[in-house]
Amino acid sequence: MGLEEAIRSGKFIVTAEICPPKGTDISGFFSEAALLQGIVDAVNVTDCPRAMVRMSPLVFSNELIKINIDTIMHLTCRDRNRIAIQSDLLAAHALGVRNVLAMSGDFTTMGDHPYAKPVFDLDSVQMLQVINKMNSGFDLMDNPLEGATSLYAGAVVNPGTRPLGFARIKLQKKISAGARFIQTQAVFDADLFNEFMDEFKSVNIPVIAGIIPLRSAKSTGFMIENIPGVKIPQAAVNRMESASDPVTEGLKIAAETIDRIRENCQGVHIMPIGKHDHTKRLLEMCSLL
Amino acid sequence: MIVTRSKPIEEIMDQIDPIMDRKICVIGCSLCAGKLKTGGEPEVKNMISQLRDKRANVIDGVVLKHACSIESWESLIKEQPVISDAEVLLVMSCGIGVSLLGRLCDKIVIPALDTVSLGAALNDEILLEMCSMCGQCTTGFFSGLCPKSGCPKSQLNGPCGGSNDGECEVRDRKCIWTMIYEAMEAKNMLSMLNETLPPTEYNRRL
Repeated sequence: MGLEEAIRSGKFIVTAEICPPKGTDISGFFSEAALLQGIVDAVNVTDCPRAMVRMSPLVFSNELIKINIDTIMHLTCRDRNRIAIQSDLLAAHALGVRNVLAMSGDFTTMGDHPYAKPVFDLDSVQMLQVINKMNSGFDLMDNPLEGATSLYAGAVVNPGTRPLGFARIKLQKKISAGARFIQTQAVFDADLFNEFMDEFKSVNIPVIAGIIPLRSAKSTGFMIENIPGVKIPQAAVNRMESASDPVTEGLKIAAETIDRIRENCQGVHIMPIGKHDHTKRLLEMCSLL
Repeated sequence: MIVTRSKPIEEIMDQIDPIMDRKICVIGCSLCAGKLKTGGEPEVKNMISQLRDKRANVIDGVVLKHACSIESWESLIKEQPVISDAEVLLVMSCGIGVSLLGRLCDKIVIPALDTVSLGAALNDEILLEMCSMCGQCTTGFFSGLCPKSGCPKSQLNGPCGGSNDGECEVRDRKCIWTMIYEAMEAKNMLSMLNETLPPTEYNRRL
């Protein structure tokens, strides 16, 4: 069952994220994929996250599809103008990608090529409009396509963002532009997430909540300092600092968060720091396996 | 106002070094660069002394009223005859002044500044990124504020996920979308923000 069908069935969705390699060696990434095979509904393939050069998500998504893993290909507005975006969307369809997550992308200066020219020809709302148009058989300029795409478009929101005024407007724009599902940035504070979802109760779109299991006190501190929009409650920071087995403690915190938000969303999206060696354990801890 | 920053002296010297013995004239601009203290009288004097310390053959320095608007090469050298004696012009103005001098004369033209932004001067404060010259002004949708230039990601339909507690994730300043929201709320124009704006027509710049 593909992601769209799974979401439509109403089941609680589990997705997980893999970052393509920095280099040409994809062998290690297949072992990551093997850890996820059969335990998630789809695997998100990131698009040079934090503006670090890595293998194209298009090519890597195709590698996963070849081994029967449904993928959600990330596509950012950072590195492509509207011509390249449409070209990549056509290529994605041709390579069997059916789910695309449209996003602005982390800014260039945050990554390993800070001198790069930031493109941002389209924004994420406009990218969703483009996907919608291509699904109906036309490009952005209304030229007919020889064969329409059939892409299931997703969008991102940050449920920790405050104030909510503009977040509400932008989410509505994304839905009107053709977003069919939402994946959120990492949720550490269940109260903030639930408050956000209460606010958006009337918005009828499946929301898959992002979860990052904390791994150590050090990496927790790094995330607070370096990942935009991440809000980790002090209680969780304290638990990580005093834990004798920080990996297990991080999984416990993640499982507790999932338990507290699961009534308010249609799925969770697991984004570990590093590898997926504990993803299965986390899903078992919250009875998702 | 065209906002400029001084290039590191090493970068300037990389270009001056091979032509050290030629006659150099330093040219400032009293308009934006003068106001920003990147190309006014004191900066030109300082540049001359730095270059002379490095044994460059500087014959003089002049500060133009506005390097971006010149009647003709002839009128310029009539007003500032020393320029015609020079073989090299080191220009402490924005890129427009540099480009104009590059087109007008047969001398070697070298920039001493980097041009970084279209800004505004508000009393003593310099406000950066006030316009990106995108060619299709959308500020009417935002009561005069410009998200194309104010947002590093040039978003047209609202803040990115990195806007948090009203702050921009890229630059240490308030998110332009927070400013837009507050302005539209105060002017009772919030509903206008619901409109989805299409991609910019960049061919309008041509």
